[in-house]
Amino acid sequence: MTGSGSEILLPRRRRRRRSNWRGLAYIAPAMALVIVFFIMPVLFTGWMSLHNWPLMGASRWIGFNNYVRMANDTRFMTALNFTAYYTVIVTIAIFAIAFPLAIFVEKERQFVGAYRTIIFLPVVVGLATASLLWVWLANVDSGFIGPALKALGLVEKSPNLLATFDTAFLTIVVMVVWKIAGFTMIILLTGLQAIPSELTEAARIDGAGRWQRFRHLTLPLMRKTIALALIVSVTGSILAFDQFYIMTSGGPQNKMISVVYYIFNQSFVSFNLGYGAALSIVLLAILMAISIVQLWLLRVGEERP
Amino acid sequence: MIKRLLAATSIATLCLVSAASAAENVEMWVRSGIGDAFKKVVEAYNSGHENKVVMTEVPFSELVQKYATAIAGGQAPDALSMDLIYNPAFAAAGQLEDLTDWAKSLPYFNSLSPSHVRLGTYQDRIYGLPLSVETSVFAWNKDLYKKAGLDPEKAPVNWDEITANAEKIRALGDDTYGFYFSGGGCGGCMIFTFTPLVWGAGADILSADSKTATLDTPQMRKAVDIYRNMVKKDLVPAGAASDNGANFLTFTNGKIGQQSLGAFAIGTLVTEHPDINFGVTLIPGVDGKPSSFAGGDNFVITKGTKKIDAVKEFLEYVYSMDGQKIMAKYGSLPTRGDIADKVLEGLDPRMQVGLKAIGVAKTPYTLQFNDLINSANGPWASFTNASIFGDDVDGAFSSAQSEMQSIIDSGQ
Repeated sequence: MTGSGSEILLPRRRRRRRSNWRGLAYIAPAMALVIVFFIMPVLFTGWMSLHNWPLMGASRWIGFNNYVRMANDTRFMTALNFTAYYTVIVTIAIFAIAFPLAIFVEKERQFVGAYRTIIFLPVVVGLATASLLWVWLANVDSGFIGPALKALGLVEKSPNLLATFDTAFLTIVVMVVWKIAGFTMIILLTGLQAIPSELTEAARIDGAGRWQRFRHLTLPLMRKTIALALIVSVTGSILAFDQFYIMTSGGPQNKMISVVYYIFNQSFVSFNLGYGAALSIVLLAILMAISIVQLWLLRVGEERP
Repeated sequence: MIKRLLAATSIATLCLVSAASAAENVEMWVRSGIGDAFKKVVEAYNSGHENKVVMTEVPFSELVQKYATAIAGGQAPDALSMDLIYNPAFAAAGQLEDLTDWAKSLPYFNSLSPSHVRLGTYQDRIYGLPLSVETSVFAWNKDLYKKAGLDPEKAPVNWDEITANAEKIRALGDDTYGFYFSGGGCGGCMIFTFTPLVWGAGADILSADSKTATLDTPQMRKAVDIYRNMVKKDLVPAGAASDNGANFLTFTNGKIGQQSLGAFAIGTLVTEHPDINFGVTLIPGVDGKPSSFAGGDNFVITKGTKKIDAVKEFLEYVYSMDGQKIMAKYGSLPTRGDIADKVLEGLDPRMQVGLKAIGVAKTPYTLQFNDLINSANGPWASFTNASIFGDDVDGAFSSAQSEMQSIIDSGQ
């Protein structure tokens, strides 16, 4: 029994091995890129994280001290909390705006091309440029938002939006949603358009209403697309930096320092490159864990009939 | 014949080569936003010398990062106009050329701005020499004083007077304000304009050996109250709360009644905003006794540069009467005490106030200036923001005090 089994398997395995080599050759250039630009820097960062590594002067091996220090670093914990808070708010906000927009521009109607373009337009603006633009818009004297609110009679005096946590945070979230929602919309739009129209028609003939079709047909079929959009949004938000750096310098009163901003501060303001590297490794671990959970949730869903 | 021709051409080539190597381009970085003085002196030097200075402006808030990163990457410029407060840290890191022997050989060495030389010195060796001297002074807009019914020629001597004047000026209308300061996220601005209130009264934010944070003093609480009070009374434009230093020269818009500024602003106002009629006096302390911050830039040379002689030649030009006059014309105070009177001859008399401020001015000496004071996320910047604009003054004091101390401790 076993003998005959191996006889059958042998040639097949050999064939598979040959095609493995060919496959490897095909992906070699991509692998080289990944090794040089991802794996090696990560290994180097890991190596740095075990040192006291000043920007100027000699580095010194200190083992896992940087990681021990992190556990007692309240500023890092504050940054982690803030980043988590920001990620949740922004992801929900982007999704709540982008999904209805995607449904709105999916149907062929008059000017639909123009709508899609207008919604997508902010995506092509760089994040730094967008941040600077909004700093100007939010300026209390020369900007647009404050004086406009005043002109509408909503406030008595043009407010300095970037001066308090609540208004500054709101301004940044609105800016990010304005900037990113178009991109999420395009992802969702692709998913919507991939749903075969036969299915929707069949459902309609069977008497399913608009909400029923959305709930039982569109949503389940959009699972993968939604997951992709969520992963992109969550990863992007956890890595957020530019908007806080440019719009409020982490203020007011250091309440808006994201994890990446904190890493920047440790590395390039305080010049603790070793500690910055350790923080980066921890951030990488957090990101990987979150992505793995998200992908796993996606797969759990697929197994269902 | 051929031999002679060869000889001739080789001599000609030699001449060309030596001429080319004699004229050097010195790469130099300078922080942006401190006025025109340095730009003009470079222009003058370049037009009269074979060597040229190639100047790159770097935003003042990023100069330390950019320079340190450039050193680490081997891309640093030959020389730098460095905010003097950073001089000790870079000297301690061993990244600057030791200028001791040359500096002491300069005939006017003993008359160079003492605060600058002190900050340029690390463990008895000199790594930086004064390039531009700035003191903080108090300016008032005479036209607005007149409009508000105040005596435009009478300088305020204490903060009660300043506040009262600010109220009268604010009463003039919508976008006219009594006072301004860059307070939201600009630690560098606030150390420059705000700490003199405390220094004049004998207190300081660091102990003399820089090893203890001494932020929480009655004098500092009084200084905070003065500013808080003016913010509460709406005498300060709302933009101050988020100003990261970009609007430090708001006084130049003509709608600010009073503001503490750098002496460099006198030059900027005189040359670029001649329509603003202003007076200058020393910044009163919380108890009226004036003080000032001795700021400005030191000239440092990156360790290992091959153009050190060209750099020295340029610096000697800056120290010459011509160089000093050009700098002074555009607002930088004289760095050489021995010729200060001659340099300021015929210039705006208000520059004398800046010069007088040098006599009472202070500069903190610490290797951690960026972490403690200047960084937008350092304890000093968030302290001034939280204590003046926030709701919890006591909390602002205690958290800044402990954060400062922990940064000092971690650096030892």
